[in-house]
Amino acid sequence: MIDAPGPWGSGPFILAEGYSTLDNEIALVEAEPFTCTWLNRDQPRSDRLILEANTDYWNKERGPRLERVIYVNDISPAEALDKVCDTEGEVDIVSEVPPASAERVESSEYAHLVAVDALRVVSGLINRNVSFMGEVRVRRALNLAVDRDRLINEVFAGYAHPVAALAPPYSGGMTDDREPYPHDPEQARRLLTEAGWPEDRALRLAITSDVDAVGRRMAEDFRDSLGIAVELIEIPDEELLAAQHALVEKNLPLPFDVLAHAWFDLAAGYPPGVIHREYFHSGGAFRAGPTIPEFEDLLARSLVETDANKLGELGKQIDRLVYDEALSVFLCCPQALYAVNNHVKFNGYATTLELAETEVDEGHWSRRNG
Amino acid sequence: MVQPTGESAVGREDRTPVGTVHVFDPNPLNWLFVTWNTMEEPVRTDERGRIVGACMEDSHWEGSTLVVKVREGIRFQDSETLDAHSLRRAFDEVQKWKAPHPPGTYLNFHPDTTVEVPDDYTIRFNFPEPDGLALAKFRGFHVPSTRFWEEEGFGYRKLGSGEGHW
Repeated sequence: MIDAPGPWGSGPFILAEGYSTLDNEIALVEAEPFTCTWLNRDQPRSDRLILEANTDYWNKERGPRLERVIYVNDISPAEALDKVCDTEGEVDIVSEVPPASAERVESSEYAHLVAVDALRVVSGLINRNVSFMGEVRVRRALNLAVDRDRLINEVFAGYAHPVAALAPPYSGGMTDDREPYPHDPEQARRLLTEAGWPEDRALRLAITSDVDAVGRRMAEDFRDSLGIAVELIEIPDEELLAAQHALVEKNLPLPFDVLAHAWFDLAAGYPPGVIHREYFHSGGAFRAGPTIPEFEDLLARSLVETDANKLGELGKQIDRLVYDEALSVFLCCPQALYAVNNHVKFNGYATTLELAETEVDEGHWSRRNG
Repeated sequence: MVQPTGESAVGREDRTPVGTVHVFDPNPLNWLFVTWNTMEEPVRTDERGRIVGACMEDSHWEGSTLVVKVREGIRFQDSETLDAHSLRRAFDEVQKWKAPHPPGTYLNFHPDTTVEVPDDYTIRFNFPEPDGLALAKFRGFHVPSTRFWEEEGFGYRKLGSGEGHW
């Protein structure tokens, strides 16, 4: 990350003013081999961060097409949405629009909605260390209990894709011979009974504020489909960092059976590199359960595979394995939603917010005003 | 992952940048998106997330060595030429640290990796064993100018350390 402006790179824009950084702390997964991740304490940003066009950028076909980009960092998400929907000249692009606000953007006089098939996935992380959760019939029951269509329609306003396992359908790494688990409460209840789930055993479902609605929807489905009690454990924002350390560092028993969890990938083609590995590999930050020999073997083979096609096939095998073992409660892949001024031609990316190709027409406020 | 595609160093269009946009981006990865808008790496991702060449024009494996052809005709924003030596400097800098990348150590190159620069636009990454994720790791392998390393660095000036600050 870049702490200060300067002509540091060769990219399409020059960082002319301001900064956007992280204040983070280390979380150790294991000492040998040394494996860690970093957890965010804060995201310090200047009130304004300004990018100016690098007119010497080598890839003229790409851009930059804008003279200047100004990041506005001193307003709230609600204010930003008001400004893009109800005004011109204040905010032109708002990212991370909540699905519940999509309709407002669509009906705006000044802005339109752009939905991008982002490499993101939401799932229920299963703590396989606790009783019954190591049992595949229980994990399949949880998957059969979820009504994904309802989740997508009610929580994501339709702006999400169903997914069979953890690889987004458009990532090039999804297993192509599996369908998402159907919503089948009867079979779910039968599997749970066969596994010996005690009548008085409540399912402990943990949620964080970023996936609050997803967790509550899952909890309702588990109650209704399985006929069991669900204890909802809300992790407040002020306790999130400690909870993340506990998950990553694995020092104490985790206080949940299932954790609603959102994650993302940084590139298409081999989703296990960033997604499946974090959840299930011996060195995975989010692994909550014993290692899985078949998974370890497939990942080890991937790590030395330099043929892109063979690597892609290994990725699909891994996605199939986690599906068959129902290692998570597989939910959906949310789209990234943007509110964009009507005079801005915005080019959305699956993994990033890059603006090289974004441009404005002659009716845009910045061109009308000279 | 797909192999990088070639892109012309001389674009088909040449237009003058016009206009200003105001952006509100609460994404916690905004620090990374700003880096990606201003610096380049050997590869980037296209709209669909597929890996394509950026300052790397092409690459191939020779056993456990990844041979990278650096794109010619790229200059840093301070007019310094970007070439294979720029990648070697970036490699030497990142290898100093145990955990430079905020997402985690999975983005590290093996500590026993070495590089050679046989000419100004070729760099050879000699891995102890083939690294199937090398091209994906290249996405986090930022290539800044000499001046950046000498005046700023990733966390060097602000924190005195590059750990967790790449």
